[in-house]
Amino acid sequence: MSDSFVQLSDVTLMYGKSTAVPELNLSIREGELICLLGPSGCGKTTTMRAIAGLLNPASGSIHIDGRDVTRVPANKRGIGLVFQSYALFPHLNAFENVAFGLRLQKLPASEIKARTEEGLATVGLTGFETRKPAEMSGGQQQRLALARSLVMKPKVLLLDEPLSNLDARLRLEMRTELQRVQKETGVTMVFVTHDQAEALALADRIVLMQSGKIEQLGTPADLYARPETAFAADFMGFENIFRTEGGKVVTDHGALELGFVPQSPMLAWRPDGVTVGSGPHQGRVLATSFAGAHREYVLETALGPVKADADIALPEAAIGETLSFDLPEATARPLAA
Amino acid sequence: MFRNTREGLALALPAAIFSTLLFLVPVGILLSEAFRFEGGWSLQGYIDFFATPLNRTVFLRTLKLGALVALTAAVIGYAAAFCIVNLGPKSRGTIFGMVVLPLMISPVARTYAWIVILGRTGIVNETITGLGLSDTPLRLLFTETAVFLGLLQLFLPLMIISLVSAMENIPRDVIPAARVLGASWLAVFFKVILPLTKEGLVIGGTLVFTGSLTAYITPAILGGSKVLMLETLLYQRVNVSNDFVSASVIAMILIVMSFSANLLLKKIASARS
Amino acid sequence: MNTSSRLLANWIILGLTLTFLIGPFLIIILAGASDTSYLAFPPEGLTLRWYLKVFTVESFRASFLLSMALAIFGTLAALLLGVPAAYALNRYDLPGAETVRTIVAAPIIVPGIIVGLALLRYLVVPTGVTVTLALFMAHTALVLPYAVRVVSSSMHNLRADMEEAAVLLGCSRFQAFTKVVLPNIRGGVLAAFILGFVTSFNQVPVSLFLSGPGVRTLPIDMLAYMEITFDPSVAALSALLAFMSLAIVFVAERLLGFSRYV
Repeated sequence: MSDSFVQLSDVTLMYGKSTAVPELNLSIREGELICLLGPSGCGKTTTMRAIAGLLNPASGSIHIDGRDVTRVPANKRGIGLVFQSYALFPHLNAFENVAFGLRLQKLPASEIKARTEEGLATVGLTGFETRKPAEMSGGQQQRLALARSLVMKPKVLLLDEPLSNLDARLRLEMRTELQRVQKETGVTMVFVTHDQAEALALADRIVLMQSGKIEQLGTPADLYARPETAFAADFMGFENIFRTEGGKVVTDHGALELGFVPQSPMLAWRPDGVTVGSGPHQGRVLATSFAGAHREYVLETALGPVKADADIALPEAAIGETLSFDLPEATARPLAA
Repeated sequence: MFRNTREGLALALPAAIFSTLLFLVPVGILLSEAFRFEGGWSLQGYIDFFATPLNRTVFLRTLKLGALVALTAAVIGYAAAFCIVNLGPKSRGTIFGMVVLPLMISPVARTYAWIVILGRTGIVNETITGLGLSDTPLRLLFTETAVFLGLLQLFLPLMIISLVSAMENIPRDVIPAARVLGASWLAVFFKVILPLTKEGLVIGGTLVFTGSLTAYITPAILGGSKVLMLETLLYQRVNVSNDFVSASVIAMILIVMSFSANLLLKKIASARS
Repeated sequence: MNTSSRLLANWIILGLTLTFLIGPFLIIILAGASDTSYLAFPPEGLTLRWYLKVFTVESFRASFLLSMALAIFGTLAALLLGVPAAYALNRYDLPGAETVRTIVAAPIIVPGIIVGLALLRYLVVPTGVTVTLALFMAHTALVLPYAVRVVSSSMHNLRADMEEAAVLLGCSRFQAFTKVVLPNIRGGVLAAFILGFVTSFNQVPVSLFLSGPGVRTLPIDMLAYMEITFDPSVAALSALLAFMSLAIVFVAERLLGFSRYV
């Protein structure tokens, strides 16, 4: 790929004797914010550590900015990493944490001071220079870790679940903050998370991973609307996933006749894609909950439980009542096996 | 980054090799001496050792004094630890510090004090003759009592430390709860405190027992050649009669005791975590 | 029992226990000041001459210096071996880590007198290594378990990703250790040094067999001295040594909260 800035070619990553990531191929464009998304153990953090040079690939190669860095040690790669734990240096104050890497480069004192202050300003920590990490809040520590990496002007900035230790309100704030910083600095960012909402909100492109393999790669809109596999569909909120057989959908429970003949081995519907209140099928209400704009139902059907969102205008059905529903062709997402 | 086994071994092995060459190998050879007999392997060294009445006496005396010191330390330790735990946080720290401090002081200095107390012109004899209870000073030094007192003073802090940390882990209201339910103080001790501090007692007891077993200075100063213990016997056997077989037997006894005590402690520690 | 009598009982028990534990030191201090040529308590007349005599006894001076040197350099050598070992045992998933741990801890389990005898018989005698060198190595090995244990416990809370962060900011592995790990375990290393120093300085059994003409550690020298002479100078010296230990521990506690490492 001509526009690839970070290129992983057939990279195999091992932990001792077990393979964590087999023959991974991935290319990342310059200046994009790419998100490695997947459940824990899917190999996303392992992949990130390989890009950083903290883990040597058993085979394959990694190129960054046109240079083969497969055997380049981590301290010579020019890559920044914001750790999940932030990994701030507890014995140094905020200023010295940020200046740490610059001092190693033996830059003139005036430049170190200028760049450190600029870095602290970028993340809104001006005035916190003499604070020790232990004296700062979680959000401030997060910003400090970001500044420490940014002042090094890294070619690529890796972020390992950077928002997972923050409370919900701060997390939203930091999301916007990260996007702003990325726009301002233009740095290529690789963001690792298990939270699909975070990935959808932040990323230019999402790499969905499972068991060390890339399940699907695409823009958030792509992944959200057009997952290609059952795993991707499940991760993107398609909670009803069924096999197809001729004109029917089937589960281990039973089967339902569809009004059309599907062309794919599997079909998936989001809860809001299921029609409730009308349709050829019947389901008994197992559970119901109010969700503001709609009401969520779990229906006991011939297929087993089906999750469906009903318009709030419809009268509420109590547990045990029977509701009619439909799995319409228009909202069905065809999936590969 | 830390998966490079060779790097890790390069850092850890110097210490292990040093300890192996300086400890395991020489001590291993010493232990093997008792099994070598007329060019072959045998248990003759052990048979001869225990055939000597003096050796048997010393062996049993060492065990007896070790057990007695541990038992006494447990009784005093429970009382002292219970009192310390009942103190306010501030005086608790101070008193605890005063209990720990003696451990940092030279055992020679700690034992020497008993010469001043128990000697011919020491405080006890001065009092006795001063009161006219006896015309001639009593022989208090070089007795089992003297060794016992010295060892007790040396190792009591270890017992108190173990018991205090065990008692600190007793849930706050358990003792008042038992009292409210009608338990006498004796019942509270045997039914509540003892079961809940069993671990601390075993840890403290093992430390005191093995400490007493392997102490050299106290029996040397306060027991002399009249009240030999295993360590002083070993020293005498080597220095006076060049008898390395006996030394090897004693070494084995001490190491086996010390090692089993350590295994016991490790087991307790791992059972807890 | 009512509260006040319980409180009284509490303090009586503690008072008796502390008298038993600490009283002897007070007795030693006074006995060393007795104006008699033999040990006496209560002291008959007060004098400082025994305290001053301690400094003029040639063998005490020599053995004090030897003990000091052993304690300082033996502990430094133990740290030199022990800090990397503690680091490796904490950071790496080593095969045989448990074995290494056991071997390094062995000197605590094996009674000192046996170690001293074994070293004399199988190191000094056959190889001609000097007694001083054997003493130095024995004290190093003796302190090593404490060094590894104390440094380990201070390294325990230090996360590995801090070093990875340092490396990604441009540090070599060694720089990451000196710039990030070392500053954060400084307290533990100092505590290990103090504990090692005190342990080595007060050590008797290991040094018992490892002594020769002119080579005696201070505690051994005191033992030898008190076999011949019964004047109060050993009491005075004991008191001085107790003060030295207490001063070291007190300063250490004030400076770095020593007790949390021990």
